[in-house]
Amino acid sequence: MNIALPIAIPWVAGILLALMDGRRRRPGRFAIVALVATMAAASNLAWEVYQNGPVEMVTGGWAPGVGITLRADMLGLTFALLSLGVLLAALTFEVLSGVRTSSFPALVLFLATGLTGVFMTADAFNFYVFFEITMIAAYVLTSYGEDGRQLRSATIFAVVNLLGSAFFLVGIASLYHVTGRLDMVGIARRVDIFEPEAVMLAGLLIFIAFSVKLGIFPFHFWLPAVYTGTRPAVAAILSGAVANIGSYGLLRFFGQILPEQLKLGAPIFLVLGLASIIYGSVQAISRRSVNEVLAYSSIGQVGFILIALAIGGEQGFAAAVLFAIVNSVNKTLLFLSENLRGWLSGFVFAVGALSVAGVPPVGGFLGKAGLFKIAVAEEDWVIVSLIIVGSALSFVYMFQAYQRRYWAPDPEGSEPHAPSPSSVRALVCAIAVLTIFIGVWPEPALWISEQAAMTFGALP
Amino acid sequence: MNPLVVVILVSLAAAPTTALAGFWRPRWAGPVALAGTALAFAAALWNWHSPGATVDREWAPTWGLRLHVQSDGLAAVYSLLATGIGLAVVLYALAYIPSHLHHQHRDDGDATRFFAFLLLFMGAMVGLVHAQDLFLIFLFWDLTAIASYFLIGYDRQRREARISAIMALQITCVSAIGFLIGSLMLGERFGTYQLPELIAQVESSRYVTVAMAFMLIAALAKSAQAPAHFWLPRAMAAPTPVSAYLHSAAMVAAGVFLIGRIYPLIALSDLLLDVLTIAGAASILVGGILALSRDNLKQLLAYSTISQYGYVVLMFGIGGAYGVGAASFYVLAHGVCKCALFLTAGAVSEATDQRELSNLGGLWRHYPLLAVASGVAAAALAGLPLTIGWFKDELFFNAAVDDGFPATLMAMIAATLTFAYMGRFWLGIFAGPDRGAGRSISPLLVWPIVALAVVAVVGGIVTGPFVRLAAAAASATLGRDVDLHVGYAINTEAKIALVVFASGAILVATYRFWREFPVTIAILGAVVGPDRIYSSVINGLNRLSDRIHWIEVRDLRSRVASVLAPAAVLFVVSLVMTRFTGPFRTGDLKSGDGPIVLMLILIGIAALTAAAPRNHFSMVLALSGVGYGLAVVYSLLRAPDVAIVAVLIETILSLLVFGFLALLPADVDPAEVIPVDDPEQQAQEDHALRDAGLAISAGAFAFVVAWGVMSRPAALESVIAEHVALTPDAHGSDVVTTILADFRGFDTAGEITVLGIAFLGAATLLRRRVAR
Repeated sequence: MNIALPIAIPWVAGILLALMDGRRRRPGRFAIVALVATMAAASNLAWEVYQNGPVEMVTGGWAPGVGITLRADMLGLTFALLSLGVLLAALTFEVLSGVRTSSFPALVLFLATGLTGVFMTADAFNFYVFFEITMIAAYVLTSYGEDGRQLRSATIFAVVNLLGSAFFLVGIASLYHVTGRLDMVGIARRVDIFEPEAVMLAGLLIFIAFSVKLGIFPFHFWLPAVYTGTRPAVAAILSGAVANIGSYGLLRFFGQILPEQLKLGAPIFLVLGLASIIYGSVQAISRRSVNEVLAYSSIGQVGFILIALAIGGEQGFAAAVLFAIVNSVNKTLLFLSENLRGWLSGFVFAVGALSVAGVPPVGGFLGKAGLFKIAVAEEDWVIVSLIIVGSALSFVYMFQAYQRRYWAPDPEGSEPHAPSPSSVRALVCAIAVLTIFIGVWPEPALWISEQAAMTFGALP
Repeated sequence: MNPLVVVILVSLAAAPTTALAGFWRPRWAGPVALAGTALAFAAALWNWHSPGATVDREWAPTWGLRLHVQSDGLAAVYSLLATGIGLAVVLYALAYIPSHLHHQHRDDGDATRFFAFLLLFMGAMVGLVHAQDLFLIFLFWDLTAIASYFLIGYDRQRREARISAIMALQITCVSAIGFLIGSLMLGERFGTYQLPELIAQVESSRYVTVAMAFMLIAALAKSAQAPAHFWLPRAMAAPTPVSAYLHSAAMVAAGVFLIGRIYPLIALSDLLLDVLTIAGAASILVGGILALSRDNLKQLLAYSTISQYGYVVLMFGIGGAYGVGAASFYVLAHGVCKCALFLTAGAVSEATDQRELSNLGGLWRHYPLLAVASGVAAAALAGLPLTIGWFKDELFFNAAVDDGFPATLMAMIAATLTFAYMGRFWLGIFAGPDRGAGRSISPLLVWPIVALAVVAVVGGIVTGPFVRLAAAAASATLGRDVDLHVGYAINTEAKIALVVFASGAILVATYRFWREFPVTIAILGAVVGPDRIYSSVINGLNRLSDRIHWIEVRDLRSRVASVLAPAAVLFVVSLVMTRFTGPFRTGDLKSGDGPIVLMLILIGIAALTAAAPRNHFSMVLALSGVGYGLAVVYSLLRAPDVAIVAVLIETILSLLVFGFLALLPADVDPAEVIPVDDPEQQAQEDHALRDAGLAISAGAFAFVVAWGVMSRPAALESVIAEHVALTPDAHGSDVVTTILADFRGFDTAGEITVLGIAFLGAATLLRRRVAR
C-alpha cells in the first residue's frame, strides 16, 4: 500500500483543495502540509526500496501486464522527490507572497499527483495518463496571474505541448501494436526480438515528445515565451519540476525500454544536445531581461542531459540524473529569485548564477564535472571541448545578466522597489544555502544519481 | 587539537563570522575581520612549527573524493603569506575603506561586504594551499575566483569595475575548467584524485602531458602570465587593499602555488618545463616593458606583478633544487614588498587625490616615514643589499647561471627592468621637485607599510627563517630534502647584481630619452593584444546573439510549425539511417472489404476538404465527417461499442466547436488584442505556402509512420488475449467494460482526474472573466 501513498495523498488533497478558496491562509497551509506528507511517504518508500529493492504493485491484484503495474525504484523516486521538492518550494513561495487565484494550491497538488504517478508507473499507457494529468494542471497553472501575458503563454504552452503529447501517444500505440504489451518490462522484453530498426520510428516519436517537453533545440520555440510570460513561481515549477518528465522519460524509455534504439540514435542525441547548448547559450547572451536569459539558459542546460544520455552506460545515466538534479535546483532558485528585492536578493541570484556556470563550491559544478568525467573517460575530445565552450558561454550570459540586474545603477528616474517580504527572501535564501550545501558535500547527490542509474542494471 | 585543522577552520570561519557581525552591527565588521585575520595568522604560525600533519577523511566516496589536507613547507609559505599579508591589509583597510566609501557617498554598511569577501579570499587561499585532493583544490581554487570577483567589482556603480570583475572571473574560471579536466583525466586513468598517490604512481606519458597541460592553463592564467595577463591590470579597478592582497598573497600567488603543488607531475615532461620557461620569459618582458610605459601608480605595479611572477614561472621552468627553492623564496619576498608598494600607492592617492606619476613628486618632505618604508620595499623588490630582495635575486641568478647563458641573460634583463620601474615608481612619487603636500595620512595607512618594510629589512639580515621556509617549500614541491644557502659574498651572483644595478640606474637616469619605446609597445599591445581579442570575442558574441535572435519565432502558428518541421527532418534522417529496413506492405484486399475501402475514400475526401481554406464552419463540418466516417469503419470492423463511442465523441465535439464559434465576436476589439513582441515580424509575410508545405509533410510522415507500423504483423500474443480470457474473473460480461473499469480502471480514474482539472481550469478562467 506504501507505493500508492505518494500518488494518493496529493490526489485526495488536490480534490479537497479544489473545493476551497486557495487564496485564504488555511488552504495554503494545508496544501504545504499535504506536499510535505507526500514527500515523507515518498522518502519512506525510498528507504524501503534502498533496503529491499524495487517495490511493485499491480492494480486490482491481476498478473503484471493485465493490470497496471506501479513500480517504485530509485530512478523514479529520485525524480519524484526532486520534483516534489521543487513544487514545495514554489508553493511555499507563493503562499508566503500571497496566492492570487483560488485554484492555485489545488493545481499544484494535482501536478504533484501527476508527477509522482509518471515517475512511479511501470506501464507505458498509464505513464501517458499521468503525463496528461501533469500537463493539464501545468497548462492551467501557466495562466496563473492577472494579465494577458500569462494567458498568452498558457495558450502557447498548451497548443505546442498537446502536439508533443500526440507524438507520444502515437509512439506508445506503435509500441503496443508491435509488442502487444503496455507494461514497460513486457515491452522491453518483446522489443528485443526485433532488429533495432523495426521500432526506430516509435522511438523517434517518443524522443520528439520528450524533446518538446524539455525544450531541446529545435523543439524549444514555445519555451522562451512561456517561461518569460508566466509568473516566477510557475516558471520555477515548469523548469524545475515539469521539465523533469522530459529527462526522466528519456532515461526510462531509452535507458530501459529501447536501449538498442538509444545506441542507434546516439548521434541524434549528441548533435541536438550540442546544438541546444550552443544555441541556447548564444541566445541568452544579449537578452536584456533576466527571465529571458534564464529561459534560453534552460534550453542550453538541458542539452547537457542529452549528451550524457548519448554517451550512455551506467556512468552516462548517472551523469544525466546528476545534471537533472542540479539543474532543477538551479532553475528553482533562479526563477524564484528573479523578482526578489531587498538585501540578500542579489546574493541568492549570484549563487544561482555561479551554479549554472558550474563554479564550486556551489552545487551546479557537480553536474558539469559529471559530464566532463564521462566524456574524459570516453576520451571524446570533441565533446569535451564543446562542453568547455558551453560552460564558457554560461559565464558570459549569467554574469552579464547578474551585473546588469544587480550591479548597474538603476536608470535615472526609476522608482525604488519595495523589498520583498522577508519570509519570502528567507525561503529563497534557504534554497541558495541548499545549493551551496550540495556542492560542499557532494556525496548525497552523487550517491543518489548513481543509485538511480543502477536501476537499469537491476531490472528483471 | 590539530593545528592544521585549526588554521583551516579559523580561516574559513572568519568570513561568515565577519558577515554576520556586519549584518548585526555594521561597524563591527572591521574589528571582527581584524580579529579573524590575526587568529588565522597565529594559527598559521603555530601550524608551521608543527609540520607534517595530515587529515584525511571521506568526502564523496562515490567519486573517490577525500577531504585530504596536509601541512608542508609549500602550504606554510602560502598560508603565512595569505594570513600575514591579510593582517596588514585588513589593518590598512580599517582606515582606508570608510574613507573610500565616504568619497563615493556610499553607505558604511558596504564595508561589511568588503571585509567578508576579503576574508573569504583568505580562507579560500588557506584551504587551497593545504588541499591534497584534486577536487578539493579545484573547489578552493574557484572560491578564490569568486571572492576576487566580488572584490574587484566592489565599486559596482562604476562601469570600469563591473567590466574588470567579469573579465577576471571569466579568465580565471574558464581556465580553471582546464584544471578540472586535467584532474579528471588523471583520476579516470589512475583511479585516484589524491595528489600524493598520483605523484607516487604516475609515469611520463603523452596522456599525462596532456592532462598536465590542461592544468597548467589554469595555473598560468591565474598567475596572469602572458598572454592571459591582461585581466590583472584591469583588476586595478578594485580598491587598493584588494589590489595589494590580490597581487601579493592571493589569486595571482595561487597560480604559482599550483605549479609548485603539481610540479612533480609537470616535470615529467620536458615540453611542459619549456612551456613554463617561455611563458615566464614572455611575461617578464611584457610585464616589465609595459610597467615602464605606465603613468598610473597601480597600473605600473600591476604590470610589475606580471613580470615578477614571470620570474617565478621561469624558475619553475629551469627547475632543480635551486630553481624551485628560489621560486618559493621569491614569492615570499615579492609578497611582502609588493603589498607594501600597493599600500603606498593607495596612501599617496588617498592623501593627494592623484593617481598618476606625472602629477606627483617630492613627497618625501611631507611623508618621510612613508617614503622610507616604501623606499625599503622598492629597494627590496629591486634586489638591493641589506634587504630580503638581495637574496631573492641571488637565488634567482644562481638558478639561472646553473642553467646556462640564455637563462642568465633573461635573468639580467628581468632584474634590470625591475630595478628601472621600481626606481621610477619611488623616485617619481617621493623625489623631484616639491608639488605641495596633500592631506595628512592616517597612521593606520602607514604602519602596515612600515611593518612590511621591517620584515623586508629583517629578511635581509636574518635570513634563516625565510630560507628555511623556502627550503621546506621546495622540499614539499620536489618530494625530497632541499637545502638552500644564501649569504653575502662576492660571487658570480653578486657580480651580476652589480651589473644589473648599474644598467638599471642608467635606464632610470635616461628614462625620458627612450620612454617612447615602451609606450609604443603598449599601444601596439592595446591594438592587437589579447586584451583586444578578449573584448572582440565578448562583443562579437553579444552581436551574434542579437543577430540570431530573429530565428526565434513569435506567433503560435510558427511555434507549431517549429515542432512539425524538425520532426519531419528527423524522420527522414532516421529512415535513411535505418535504410528503410522496415517492411512497407500493402496487404491483400479481401472480398468483403469493399465497403471499408469505400468509406475510407470518403474519409479521405472529407479530410482534404477540411484542409482547404474556407470558413471555420465548413471546416468543422468536414472534420466531423471524418469522425463519423471512422465510426462507420469501426462498425464495419465489427466493433459496435467503439463505433458508438466515436459517434458520441464526434457529436459532442462538433456541437462544442459550433457553440464556441457562435460565441466568438465577429469583430475583434483592438484593445483586447495582446500585442505580439514584434509586429514587424508578425506582418512579415504570408505563411500560406509554408503552412501548406508543412501540412503536407506532416501528413506524409504520419502516413509513413502508420504504414511502417501497420506493416509489421501485430504482436502474436497480445495482452488483449489475457484480458478476454480473464473477463469472467472480473465479473464482467464484455471485455471493453472490464478493461475500462477493472484491468485498466486506474487509467480511467486518471482520465477522470484530467477532466476534473480541466474543469477546474475552465472555472478559474471564467471566474477571472467575471471578476473583470
